[in-house]
Amino acid sequence: MKLGTVIGRVTLSKTLKPLEGGRYLLVSPFSREQFAAGLEAPPRMGNDPSLVVYDDLGGAPGHVIGYIEGREAAQPFDVPPPIDAINAALVDEMFYRPWPG
Amino acid sequence: MLLARVEGNVVATRKHPSFEGWRFVICQPIGTDGQAEGTPQIAIDAHGAGMHQQVVISSDGAAARKAVGTEKSPARWLVIGVVDESEPGVRV
Repeated sequence: MKLGTVIGRVTLSKTLKPLEGGRYLLVSPFSREQFAAGLEAPPRMGNDPSLVVYDDLGGAPGHVIGYIEGREAAQPFDVPPPIDAINAALVDEMFYRPWPG
Repeated sequence: MLLARVEGNVVATRKHPSFEGWRFVICQPIGTDGQAEGTPQIAIDAHGAGMHQQVVISSDGAAARKAVGTEKSPARWLVIGVVDESEPGVRV
């Protein structure tokens, strides 16, 4: 799972049967600096490219979510749909202390 | 599998039901010299890995699903062990 900031939504007018009712979020992956800055820091973009994440938990722009990438993203469905990223957690709190070295 | 250092944890009330009761730890992948490599990964942890302890995390989804006990889980990364020694006799 990786952390990312929800920076937007994606709407599909036509979609595959198993994905009907699904929501999609546009997510900017957290950089190491953002982990260090914490959840209270002003929202900013990460260094990595943003991605679209399937969401059935109710994430919204501004939220920090934990998303899972790869084949595992399709695992919760009866008929595995063609998705490769899913929102797995809405992050409430984060405790992060980088190793001083 | 990646060698990583535990650098924190994440609390999420709203999550996939298969993660109920699991600990999410922030694992920073590291090299053999202990320096950070890449962005942190969140893994589920059954071993109670402590802060700044070195661990090995695995991206084996099948093993993670077995661990959480349901096939319909997106679980992927899990802590598979805590590192004691980097080489025989050298504790980390």
